[in-house]
Amino acid sequence: MGLASVSSANEGIQFCIFDLRRGQNEGQELDKILFFFPADLPFSTQLSVIGLSEGLITFTRIFSPEAACEVIEAERHSHVFYEAEPDIWMVMVVEKSKELEAIWRIDPLRKVLKEVHFLLLMFYGSLRAMLEKEPSGGLIRSHLYPFIMDYLSVTNCQHFTSALSWIPAAGADFFVGKKLQLPSFRDCLKERGTVQMLTVGREAAIEVQSLVRVLESSAGNTPCYSLILFHNLLVSTTLSPDDTINLFTYAVSRLTPHALSSGVSSWSYLRRGSASSLVASGSTLPHSASVSEQIYHSSNTSPGRDNSNHVARPLQHGKWSKGKDGFLVTDIWGVDAGSLICATPTVWLRQTEEGMYLCPYQYKSLTIILLIPLSSILNGEQGVSAVKQQVLDNASLKILKVEEKLSKGWGGENAYHVSGYRYLLADGDRNISRASPPGKVTTLTKESLLALSKLREEVDLEKSRAKYDNPDSERDLELCIRAKNNAWVIARVTRGKELYMVLEKANETLLYASDAFEKFSNR
Amino acid sequence: MSGKASSSQPSIGLSGSGALSHVYIQYPPLRCSTPESRSLHYDDGNKLLISSSSDQIFSWKTVPFSPLAIPTSDSISEGPILCIRFSLDAKLIAIQQSSTEIQIWNRETKESFSHRCRPELESILGFFWTDCALCDIVIVKNSGLDLLTYNSVSKSLDLVETRKMHVSWYVYTHESRLVLLASGMQCRTFTGFQLSAAGVIRLPKFEMVMARPETNSKPVLAAEDVYIVTVYGRIYCLQVDRVAMLLHSYRFYRDAVVQQGSLPIYSSKIAISVVDNVLLVHQVDAKVVILYDIFADSRAPISAPLPLLLRGLPRSYSSSSRSARRDCESSEANNIDNEAIIYGDNWTFLVPDLICDVSNKLLWKIHLDLEAISASSSEVPSVLEFLQRRKLEANKAKQLCLGIARTVILERRPVSMVAKAIDVLVTSYSYSIKTGSYFKGTKTEKTSSSGAPNASSLISGTDISTNRIDGKSIRHETTAGVDSECLNRSSTFSGSDSDSDSEENASFEPLKTDSTNLQLGGGKVNLAVAGSSSAEVQSSSFKRQLSGPTDNISEQQDSQLTSPAISPDEMYRFVFAPVEEEILGDPSYLVSIIIEFFRSANSEKIKVHPNLYVLTIQLLARNERYAELGLFIINKVLNLFDNFVCFQILEPSKEVALQLLESGRQNIETRKLGLDMLRQLSLHHDYVVLLVQDGYYNEALRYARKHKVTTVRPSLFLEAALSSNNSQHLAAVLRFFSDFIPDFQKSVDFSTYYRVLNNMNSSSIAA
Repeated sequence: MGLASVSSANEGIQFCIFDLRRGQNEGQELDKILFFFPADLPFSTQLSVIGLSEGLITFTRIFSPEAACEVIEAERHSHVFYEAEPDIWMVMVVEKSKELEAIWRIDPLRKVLKEVHFLLLMFYGSLRAMLEKEPSGGLIRSHLYPFIMDYLSVTNCQHFTSALSWIPAAGADFFVGKKLQLPSFRDCLKERGTVQMLTVGREAAIEVQSLVRVLESSAGNTPCYSLILFHNLLVSTTLSPDDTINLFTYAVSRLTPHALSSGVSSWSYLRRGSASSLVASGSTLPHSASVSEQIYHSSNTSPGRDNSNHVARPLQHGKWSKGKDGFLVTDIWGVDAGSLICATPTVWLRQTEEGMYLCPYQYKSLTIILLIPLSSILNGEQGVSAVKQQVLDNASLKILKVEEKLSKGWGGENAYHVSGYRYLLADGDRNISRASPPGKVTTLTKESLLALSKLREEVDLEKSRAKYDNPDSERDLELCIRAKNNAWVIARVTRGKELYMVLEKANETLLYASDAFEKFSNR
Repeated sequence: MSGKASSSQPSIGLSGSGALSHVYIQYPPLRCSTPESRSLHYDDGNKLLISSSSDQIFSWKTVPFSPLAIPTSDSISEGPILCIRFSLDAKLIAIQQSSTEIQIWNRETKESFSHRCRPELESILGFFWTDCALCDIVIVKNSGLDLLTYNSVSKSLDLVETRKMHVSWYVYTHESRLVLLASGMQCRTFTGFQLSAAGVIRLPKFEMVMARPETNSKPVLAAEDVYIVTVYGRIYCLQVDRVAMLLHSYRFYRDAVVQQGSLPIYSSKIAISVVDNVLLVHQVDAKVVILYDIFADSRAPISAPLPLLLRGLPRSYSSSSRSARRDCESSEANNIDNEAIIYGDNWTFLVPDLICDVSNKLLWKIHLDLEAISASSSEVPSVLEFLQRRKLEANKAKQLCLGIARTVILERRPVSMVAKAIDVLVTSYSYSIKTGSYFKGTKTEKTSSSGAPNASSLISGTDISTNRIDGKSIRHETTAGVDSECLNRSSTFSGSDSDSDSEENASFEPLKTDSTNLQLGGGKVNLAVAGSSSAEVQSSSFKRQLSGPTDNISEQQDSQLTSPAISPDEMYRFVFAPVEEEILGDPSYLVSIIIEFFRSANSEKIKVHPNLYVLTIQLLARNERYAELGLFIINKVLNLFDNFVCFQILEPSKEVALQLLESGRQNIETRKLGLDMLRQLSLHHDYVVLLVQDGYYNEALRYARKHKVTTVRPSLFLEAALSSNNSQHLAAVLRFFSDFIPDFQKSVDFSTYYRVLNNMNSSSIAA
């Protein structure tokens, strides 16, 4: 069947997005395909992958109409499914390989799909709306391809070397060299789709909140939202949890000082048109508000002019840089021809479905993402810069103070290391996680990590089972296993919180392991 | 009659804030006319106004100021009176009869003796009693100072020490204990001595600045152009420079005299008063007064020059119909029109805040109209700072501050501005806590650690009057109390000042209370508060009648306040709670303000009222900002199990926890935070009960066992287990109690649930 042909793909992985409502007639099947990776596969192969997926979805829907299949395990492949929007599916087909690095859990892979979709929503709005706006599908395809390729970092290979990898790389890049690297068992002490928070003292917390309130009121009566990061850790947010994760993911991968410094060498935003030749710059568009309106917000406005020549690529690497005033700027969203002012990016919030100007500000290690409602600003860029100026006037001192307080309390990259333990704590309710620093995790042996990966798979299974059995109650479970290398691998789930840990230098008895575990919990 | 006086009449009896004036004198004045009154004298050491007739003197206490004060009389021998002063223990009266002779009277024995100087060599310029350890009385002569002690046995003044120098004239105020001796051709070279309890301090010689009208003329400085002023415990000298139309100020330190800059004057005749540490510069010719608060370096006046207002003048007086006069307290039928002349020619300004109308024999006391002052400025933080420094009408200042705080929030002024205002209040409270003045009004207590050094370092530049608690007052408290008024005063004012003299004669002690601690400018002023507000029913009720509608009720409620500082508790009760009820629209503004308050309180290390945390939770929950609420509570996510919680902005308390649980009805996360907080607080019982309620009976059992919680009934767990409809769980819970509670198997619970369990099992088998 199609499986065989799939396996011949050089990367051993396929990633596609398709719409079940399209291309239902003979000969129009290509219409379904909204995105396919690798793009150079022949259409017949693409169609066979999608056809198989479609078949599986249709079949499983018979038994579970609400939630069709999540994963199909074949002999040599795993098919990971994610229904992004009704009838719009994202499918990832990964090859099972003897290679160690290719041992992964399904859950993180699904979370990758989810993450892509959430980011898409944030920047472009819903896929269905895009399709309705332009039924031919050209618009959505022209957006999806660069976006997902940027996400997968095809164009600009860069990744975190292990020396720098103390930062939990939430929106990390998957290409290492030529090979697409998916979250493997080595990442089992990370939790995708969560934010990592900075622990701050009471005094700093109050200062932060004080700053947050100033930011909130910076655009007059309509409250602005804000997200504050210190290094790559979240300090404060006024967004809903979903939006927080989205923006946090984006910020950590593209906006934080670390993300900036890794990309800045190759690009200078002032040298217009030098690097951004891939996408047409927005010079043809005089007004950014209308740009956003026409390009991104597609639900009920009729496109006034043809903007298909400009596709903003928010995930493009190295496109952000720090301006003189401390605000980060990018020409991703185009540059005003006359003034050379970069258009302010806009994003859509999931919770309120409001459009927001995205204004990141950076001071030393502090990154502040200010979201100004589109509705609160009537005169476009001018209004945005007025708000920015107001922020600088009102909040500069507070920002200085917050940065100082946070730096003082900052324990460094290994601040959350607990000696003797390698752990991951995840709070599923609040989408927060904390883990041993990656540098410390690398000291674990493969055996330990594999055992933990296995254990997590069990827990994932148990959790999803519990979810179907009784959605209201939360599982309460504890698992403790002894790995081949005599390490203890422990998982405990209670009241929506999960704790995983590996104890390599542990004693023989289970009692010891459980004691060590208690000690950690009571610390 | 001046236009100002007439314009002030319509506002009689109304709140002062409506009148165009920041300073007022209250009708009726103290009338000090006696038959055959020849002259009026003011004894600033004892705060006595003394009227003399040919063979008698009448003295009125001016502190506390009361128009009904009854004079005490002493008979003296006939003779001229140049100057008259009671000794600080009030046992002796000294009368300067000529430039060579001072007569001393013993009030009890009516004995007298005279002290003379060598008439051919020197003449007496004046004298004053002192509480200096070295001597009792100081006589200033043109040849220098004589320091003498009173010898009660030999009935004489014994010379202790002489300071020789040429003296043209001198100025002295008792509140500063400072005598300035002028010498030189222009009388602008000064030598100063401070005669404090600690001893005699000689200040460095200094010269005052005087502009020359033309190159060759040299104006001579007159005694009436030099004022010693005590504000905030600092001593200043103000000097009128008539040529330059400037009021130069000099500040006295122990080892230096530093010129501090100059204030402009707009009148050739100037008078200086100090009310509650506010400097009042009366521009007598212009009939206006300018207020300065010389606390910071700013030399800017508090507000524009405005006239002095006469308040409370009965309407009947101003109208032509005298017959309608009901008020018969003043037996003397004075010409009211004359009385009401503001800045009349015969006004004499007494130190620090009294005005004596010599021709009408009236004594007025100057008051600040805090309402008017605060209403005249839009700079809220600086107004609050000003009010927070007021001690005299502490309660009124406090009420005004609370009102201002409420208003700025309700008006949704910019957060940064409100934050500044809050900072002012919190800092002031923190300061008053540190210095102990906050509690002074309510309790007698001795936070006098700072007392001793203050007493000895007089011109040390101690800046704040609240610092003035010296160890002696403790002694004083135990000894005073002969006189009921004294008792009252000491109870409200325990921390204030007194000295060794007070122990000898308690009845006069209050008059000198400000004597020791001159570095505490507020001393005397505070005393007035204590006096008028102490439990002396008569005087305070009288005051109430007089002041009429201008006094609000709250003023009497806790009129014992000596500091307008506002505690976090009061911030909650009188600012945030009422504002929360009134404020309209989005509560996030109020949240911002509350955070600013937290920030301010935290920086001053002041505890916040738990109810304010509760309020914050309510406000956030009302906006459904649960995610942020989480940030307020915890930041550490690692609170997986026990004690791993780091509570953030909202400090844990049972109230806060319960509010979280309450708000958690809509948001399960918030509820969990509440549970975590209960656990953090070790409220084991509540925690376990709530865990069971939420269905986590296993967790609850584990916790109950670990923390030995035995107060929760087993049936609660059993019910919860039963409701899960899982026989295994029920069996486990039963087993748990059987194992850990002795005799549980004999209890009713056991048998009941054992039966239930059996039924469940059998039914499941049957099924």
